Formats: sequence, C-alpha cells, structure tokens
Amino acid sequence: MVHIKAKVLAKIEVAIDIYKLRLSCPKIAASVLPGQFVHVECGKDREFILRRPFSVHRRLGGNAFEILFQVVGKGTRALAEIEKGDILDVIGPLGNGFEVSDTVKNTLLIAGGIGVAPLMFLAEKLFAGKIPFDVLIGCANCKKAVPFDLQNIIKDRVFFATDDGSLGFKGTVTELFLNHLKKNEKPDVIYTCGPKAMLKQVALIAEKHGIACFLSLEERMACGIGACLSCVCKTKSGQKRVCVDGPIFDASEIIWE
Amino acid sequence: MKPSLEVNIAGIKMKNPVMTASGTFGSGLEYSNFIDLSKLGAIVTKGVSLKEQQGNLTPRIYETPCGMLNSIGLQNKGVEKFILEDMAFLKEFNVPIIVNVAGSAIEEYVEVAQRLSEEDCISALELNISCPNVKAGGLVFGSDVDSAAKLTTFVRKATKLPLIVKLSPNVGNIETIAKGVEEAGADAISLINTLIGCAIDVDSFKPQLANVIGGLSGPAVRPVAIAMVWRVSKAVGIPVIGMGGIMNCRDALEFFLAGASAVAVGTANFINPEVTMEIIDGLAEFLRINKLNSILEVVGKLKV
Repeated sequence: MVHIKAKVLAKIEVAIDIYKLRLSCPKIAASVLPGQFVHVECGKDREFILRRPFSVHRRLGGNAFEILFQVVGKGTRALAEIEKGDILDVIGPLGNGFEVSDTVKNTLLIAGGIGVAPLMFLAEKLFAGKIPFDVLIGCANCKKAVPFDLQNIIKDRVFFATDDGSLGFKGTVTELFLNHLKKNEKPDVIYTCGPKAMLKQVALIAEKHGIACFLSLEERMACGIGACLSCVCKTKSGQKRVCVDGPIFDASEIIWE
Repeated sequence: MKPSLEVNIAGIKMKNPVMTASGTFGSGLEYSNFIDLSKLGAIVTKGVSLKEQQGNLTPRIYETPCGMLNSIGLQNKGVEKFILEDMAFLKEFNVPIIVNVAGSAIEEYVEVAQRLSEEDCISALELNISCPNVKAGGLVFGSDVDSAAKLTTFVRKATKLPLIVKLSPNVGNIETIAKGVEEAGADAISLINTLIGCAIDVDSFKPQLANVIGGLSGPAVRPVAIAMVWRVSKAVGIPVIGMGGIMNCRDALEFFLAGASAVAVGTANFINPEVTMEIIDGLAEFLRINKLNSILEVVGKLKV
C-alpha cells in the first residue's frame, strides 16, 4: 500500500457519463489484485475534501492500471475533468481482493451498473487461468452500457440486461440471472458487484441454488485504511470494515438489513 | 541552534506539539504503514468505553462543504480488549499515548479510568464529554458546567494520570465550562470536539446519516475552533490543546497564536495519512525562518 502521485495516461468516455482513467503507477500496478481499490483525491483545495474509492478496472502490465467511474456528484465530476498528463494523488492498492480457488471450473460474473468496474480485472485473471466464465451486466440503457471487450474472445459469453430493452434482455440483471440459471450449467462460484439491493437479491438466489457467491460491497468511507470506522457492515463473524476486511465478502457471511 | 518544538502539557513531555485527534487515527496500526508513529508528539486513541460498543448504523459519514459529518457512535472494543490489543501495539513506540475515555454514566468513566491507570504505558487520559453521537453520555456531561465539573471531580479522584478534558463547542458559554473543569482538577483542556450537524437528501426525504444528526469536522469548523481556543486560553490557567479542521502547518499556527500549547490533527488524517509529519516539519521550518528558538514563543502571541 502506497500514497503516491500517479500520472494520467488517458481519459476515455466509454459510455454516457462513464469514464475510464488510465494511470501510470508501477508501485500499485505491480501488486494490485482483482477486487482491490484505490483511494483518489478528487478535489485538491476544493470544498469536497474526502478521497473517493474506485475499484481497479484493469491492470496494464506492471506499470499502469485503469479505474472506471460514473459521474454521480462533485468529486466524480471533477475527476471527469482531469486531462491526460495531469497528476492524481492516490492511495492503494487497498482492500482484500477476490479469492479464486484452484478448484473452480465454471464461474458467473454479475454486474449492476458501474459495478462492472472490478469484474473486468477479475475476468482477465480468470481468462489467464483458463477458467470459463459468463458475464451478466445490468444497466439503465444501451447508452450506459460499458463495453466488456476482453480480447474479443469472450464477447459471446457477455449478456446485457437493460431497463428499457435497448440492449440485450429487457429487465433487471437479477431476472436475467434467473433465466441464465435455467438455461445453463450451474456455476461453481458467482462474483458480483453493484448496488446493495441487487447484491442482496443475487446473494439470496445464489444461496437458494447452493452456489458460492462473493460480492464487492460499497459503503461511504473516509480514510479507506481502516481507521475511521465509517464503512462498517454486519457479518456473521461480527462487524467488519468494508475498506480493509472487504470490499470482497463471502455473501453467506453478510447479515442483510 | 535548531529551534525546539518540545512542549510539556500537564507533565506529558512531547517531542513536538502535534497530536492525533481522538477517533481519527484508528488504533495507530493503520497509520504505521505511512508514518513513523514515534515521530508524533502524542497519539490520542479512539474513545474507549467499559464494554464493547457496536456504534451506529450506516451511513455513518457524509461529506459537506469543506468538511464531513460523522456519527460513528463510539464503536470500540471495550477497555480490556483495548489494553490487550491496541496498547500492546502502541507501547512499542517511543511516543506518549493518551487514551480517550468514553462513558454513559459517571461510574463507567471512573471504572475505565481506574482500569487504564493500572497500565504503566499510558501517559494521560482524555475525558470525552463532548461526543454528539451517542444518546446517553458524551455530550450529556459536556453541555453544562455542573455535570462537566462533577464528572471531572470523580475521574480526578480515580486516576493519578494527567487528565485532559475535551470540550464540546455545542454549548452556551464555553469559558464557564472550561473554568468549571479546571477547578474540578483537569490538568489540560482540549477543544473543540465536533459541531452538531445534519444533512438531508431532498430526493428521498431521508437524512444523510442513519443517526440523523452527527458531528461536523474538517476545515469548515476551523474558525469556530480558533475563536473558542482564543477565549478558553484566556479564561483558564491550564494548557489548551487546540483542534478543529487543521489541514496543514499554517492552520496549526493559527491555533498556537490563539493560545493553544499543542494541536491535534483529525479529519486531515483521512485525506493525507502523512499530514502530521508534514505539519511537524512545517512548524520547524516556520520557527527557523522567523528566527524563533521555540514553539512556545508563538503560543498565545496573537497581536490584537
């Protein structure tokens, strides 16, 4: 874990109000794991003082990584105005990362909205390890869809669900998930990231079907390093800090509100 | 000659006057990845109560203009586990440890203070009578002079350790309360704790914090803190530890000029884990540039 300045190599608007920032930072890129995040200062000398946490979206060799974010408030708006060549103040890599067991044979990745961010990095790892996976992505409409273009090879295993049916299945990603379970071989493990309500539904369906499920939780956090106790969640083994004990949790451990 | 940053607050000898503010520094362990803890003036721990406390529901924080609201609700592992785990780690560093004591009844404060006094690696206690985030306790004791003085008297009797009382800004007349706890035996006063605040999501009609109200910290509260340090340091004879929105060395200097003998850094730790080190270096540089021999030459030197 380092506190470091990272140079912006590229900024790409991949969908409406969704951006990808590529950062040059060997110290983070060399060690970051899928599911880990970085804590980014977005408002230096401005009124929004806290850092913003972003899952690492992709690792580009040992020198650079990408974050993917949606403009939702002042901090992300400021970040969207960053230009190539600018310097960002970053702390990372933070959190625990996804666990991928050697015995896994068939996995399913489920993303809700910007929750696709950490799953791309995970997909790269699965792909490299020759572990088969399907990807289900839910978003509002085709303009909000983040391309999941991993080497073009897996395109036929990526399925979208949109609220308006403008891309893929018309409906929620959890409905798509249920359909997918009916038509396909049961996966060994599900990895998911998205809004809490979606995560809860995915976790409950997974439990019902006896499928292991790991999810990436999000909570408002200040420090990102386990000190402030802002981002706690309730689990069967006590209260945990999302930033250091997570953000990846075994879904069966979570006590849902 | 190298200028001196050394201070002595109520018998606590510190290498420099920069401390961490309670509740913003975890158990210290989290920050040891970024800084050498032994370079701090002192470490003030998160509030410790008699028994383990789960704290409040989430969301526990909300960012506001130049600040943040928090309602953590004194989540802590209780005094026994604190001694076993946190103190075991912290005592390895050559730095004074000041334990923030929380409670919901006089008896609880007294019991925690007594238990902590049995340990030989604790330099002082900070009495938390100003937490706005728990229903019973905290602010209940800090909001009027009689209850603040009464609690201070009881805890004073229960410990030989230097006793710092942390005051709330959410009061009518802070000088009265400061004088009350001084008379009751406090060795130093720290201020300010957070200001009571609330923020609302107008789309959902819901509060931004699960606890509805929380405590405001960060640079937004700094002018309030400076004013209160100025007033309290004139009203009492014991040292004042100033805090509230210190983000850098110049902010810290404002507190010294207003009358603080030491400062504590809180919210800024969340943004920049090395900020305390930068402030310490900045203070030394300021003294050197201004040809001052000691930080004490700045304390209370506001020209009015």
